[in-house]
Amino acid sequence: MIKKISNIFRDGIYFDQYLFISITLLSAMGLVFLFSASQGNLETTIKQSIFVIFGLVLMLLVSQPDPDFYKNNALAFLLISLFLLLLTAFTGKEINGAKRWLDLGFFTLQTSEIIKISLPIFLAAYLFNKSLPISLKNTFISILLIFIIANIVRIQPDLGTSLVILIAGLYVLFLAGLSWRFIGASSAIFVLSLPYIWNNFLEPFQRQRILTLFEPNADPYGSGWNITQSKIAIGSGGFQGKGYQQGSQAHLDFLPETETDFIFSVIAEEFGFLGVCVLLSVFLFILIRCLYLALNARDRFCRLTIGGLSLLFLSTIFINLAMVIGIIPVVGMPLPFISKGGSSLLSFYIAFGIIISMATHKKLMRR
Amino acid sequence: MIDSQERFSEKKNFFNRLILIYVIFAALFILIIYKTYSLQVSSFSDYEIAALKNKTREILIQPSRGIIYDRDGQILVNNVPSYNLIIKPSFISNFENLLDEIKSIVELSEEEIEYARINFQKKASLNRELILKKDLSKEEIAKFEVRSYRFKNVFIEQRYSRQNLYPELFSHAIGYVGNLNNEGLDKVLQDQSLSTKETIFYYSNGFIEGKTGIENIYDDRLRGKYGTKIFEVDATGKLLDELNEIPAVSGNDIKTSLDLESQKVAFKAMNGRRGAIVAVKISTGEIVSYISSPSFSVNKIANGLSENEFKELLDDVNKPFFDRAVQGRYSPASTIKPAIGLFGIENEIIDWDYKINDPGFFILPEDNRIYRGWKKGGHGDINLSNAIIESSNTFFFSLAYQSDINDLTKHLSKFGFGRNVCNDCFLPDIGLLPSPAWKMNTHNFGWFKGDTVNLGVGQGYLSATPIQLAYYAAILANKGTINKFSFVKKDSLEEPDKLISANIDVSDWEKMHESMIGVIDNPKGTAGRLRSLKDYPIAAKSGTVELVSTETKEDYKIIRENEGNRDHAIIIAFGPMPNPEYAVSVVIENGESGGSVAGPVAIAVMNSLIN
Repeated sequence: MIKKISNIFRDGIYFDQYLFISITLLSAMGLVFLFSASQGNLETTIKQSIFVIFGLVLMLLVSQPDPDFYKNNALAFLLISLFLLLLTAFTGKEINGAKRWLDLGFFTLQTSEIIKISLPIFLAAYLFNKSLPISLKNTFISILLIFIIANIVRIQPDLGTSLVILIAGLYVLFLAGLSWRFIGASSAIFVLSLPYIWNNFLEPFQRQRILTLFEPNADPYGSGWNITQSKIAIGSGGFQGKGYQQGSQAHLDFLPETETDFIFSVIAEEFGFLGVCVLLSVFLFILIRCLYLALNARDRFCRLTIGGLSLLFLSTIFINLAMVIGIIPVVGMPLPFISKGGSSLLSFYIAFGIIISMATHKKLMRR
Repeated sequence: MIDSQERFSEKKNFFNRLILIYVIFAALFILIIYKTYSLQVSSFSDYEIAALKNKTREILIQPSRGIIYDRDGQILVNNVPSYNLIIKPSFISNFENLLDEIKSIVELSEEEIEYARINFQKKASLNRELILKKDLSKEEIAKFEVRSYRFKNVFIEQRYSRQNLYPELFSHAIGYVGNLNNEGLDKVLQDQSLSTKETIFYYSNGFIEGKTGIENIYDDRLRGKYGTKIFEVDATGKLLDELNEIPAVSGNDIKTSLDLESQKVAFKAMNGRRGAIVAVKISTGEIVSYISSPSFSVNKIANGLSENEFKELLDDVNKPFFDRAVQGRYSPASTIKPAIGLFGIENEIIDWDYKINDPGFFILPEDNRIYRGWKKGGHGDINLSNAIIESSNTFFFSLAYQSDINDLTKHLSKFGFGRNVCNDCFLPDIGLLPSPAWKMNTHNFGWFKGDTVNLGVGQGYLSATPIQLAYYAAILANKGTINKFSFVKKDSLEEPDKLISANIDVSDWEKMHESMIGVIDNPKGTAGRLRSLKDYPIAAKSGTVELVSTETKEDYKIIRENEGNRDHAIIIAFGPMPNPEYAVSVVIENGESGGSVAGPVAIAVMNSLIN
């Protein structure tokens, strides 16, 4: 056992300084933002700091094993995460009508955050050695799996995470070489079935959120409140912002969910367009680094995993930002490394740990 | 096994697809940056305002209304404090305990407790004050004050009520205040570009405005300007810090021309009878006494009448709300005669020596219709002066008969008939000055000579309000000139408007004054009974308005059984002669005799003004 662990570290520590530094920087900025967004709540900020430190360590640890370790255990990881997800559905803790969490005593775990990572890895492991183009059978198996898991999350209900799981899975499938003909055909089916989805798969409040997007002023004090106040917060920040902890929208409770979904609005209000640009630059740097690593990965499994996980990260950022500035409906999506919430935070540290592992391990030559 | 060829194409395929997604997202991120830019930079000022609006709340501060004084600076209408018991719910943890403690000191009614219980939470969450009890008595205030150290978040707040110190004396002249309706409020606030979210009230009955009289006419001046306190608020509307305050500007006080003493005398002399009194200072046109009777209490109206009390006032047959002084239409009757006489002089139809024989009636040559005088057998040979003194009808029938109706109408208009004679009266009526054109329009009938003859003695279609009669008297007194009447004391004397000129010279005016003095002082004068009531000369002309036309005194005795059929009593007077300072008109409905019923009232007012 000890030998095995020491084997892991045989080639020294696997480490990507670009990602490590930029993610550490992002996490630190996140703590600064969260302190203000939580109305200077020290307890929240300290708790989040512990997650950040723990997460950074976790990221380092997760990046040490060889990619083969993840490839070989992908099914086991998926089954464990699926088990936790189902456990949540039966014995989960209900908060505000949503059953998403497992109470572990010291920590409430949002189990959908785990499967968000393990599903793309499993799909990469499942598809990496399939010849191109991917057969219809494999396509259907993958899609069925993706939809089942996404739907379990959707009925929690957690539309945001379910959406992310869905697209993360589809990214891997797409990158693995899903035939264009299939993509075209299924897109057509999807568009045609939109009314059916609208009527049967969306909760009334979710439909309301989508409608609100198109007419936020129809009910500015009701369903349009969040997005109206968010836009006011962002807009009133101006170019330079109102100054740290000076955002009236955030500090006088006009903005909802300042610590989680709408933390970007707080940043935009207090740091202005300049602050937004700085934050987006850090995100951009990480994404470009991921693109580079994906393109230079050692094998198909690594490529698919890095590609899938980085697109997962990218999509999460996009959905959050697009939501708070009012171009997509409010779906409940944290801003990675910035929003409060341990599960989401840790899942991204793990994801980046795996990305670093995939990127830094050279191909082992069999003796 | 995958061969290298396939591996290469797989890799290329992967690159293409990954870059494709990145490119799509790059476009989406440009959209996000563009949208953020447009929110933060292009539309910044809109959102800046929206955020500011969100976090600030403007609370109005009601200004205090101006005080109304009489001409000597005595307060007529004031703001008197009333005391309310206020609590601050946001700082009170145990409301029921506090309520029990307060109940042991100040009695609280079930409704007051109910109201407080219902509103406590809301007021607490918004950091607003709550009125526990209104209008504390002096005893309650004292009882609370000595124990106030026990209550950190309970205090007594002063608010005001509008109070007329002489509530029945000035009910029509000054009028009353009442609640501002929504449109009125919108207008008032719009003038100051304010919104009405919340107000710190100065008056315990909220927003008030002048509803009638001087309170209404000078509402703008009395009202003052609303101030504002600007608070920072959170999303729930809870008040946080006070950011700014623009203090309210109190309304301007108004010094009226009204004379409290003569008003008191006039009110007493009227003694609740139906009628009106208007007295003015001739040199300025200032109204010094103004009574419409019967009256009512303006304070009761302003501070809330019960529905029954209000209905009672509305249904009162004597119509206390009706302002007879500017809205009551009465035939001038014989009081018109000096104006008719002057018309004769002006148009050289007659002169002061011109005499006719008065047999007691006038026969209209056109149709032989008989127009009777008041004295059986007539006044014999009579000139203008005696016709005024004795009030000969025949003389004026005859004079009117010789007059051109259009010229006569024009002449009477100069004396104020058919015109608004007041600058600042509330809803004045202009009476009726008939003319052939008017008759054709309204009655679809031509003007008869007989109509002119009736006009000669102030009967028929002609009607005037008491204030018009006072104006007419003032012009007579001032020899053809007068200022338009007003309720506000004038600081400087204005040059009066010249109204009558042409062929009437000073000696004509003086002769007319002499004749009108004779109405009281001449042994044959119709108002001889007034002689003993004064010790200086007063010019006057009495009138008795026939409501029902009767041929004989016996007939009148029958119809007078019904009080409503009795003649109205009218008098106009000015004095002291020969340099008159005040003019007065008195109308007493169904008073029967101008000289002996309306006359003493006029003399009493005149005496109080002169002494």
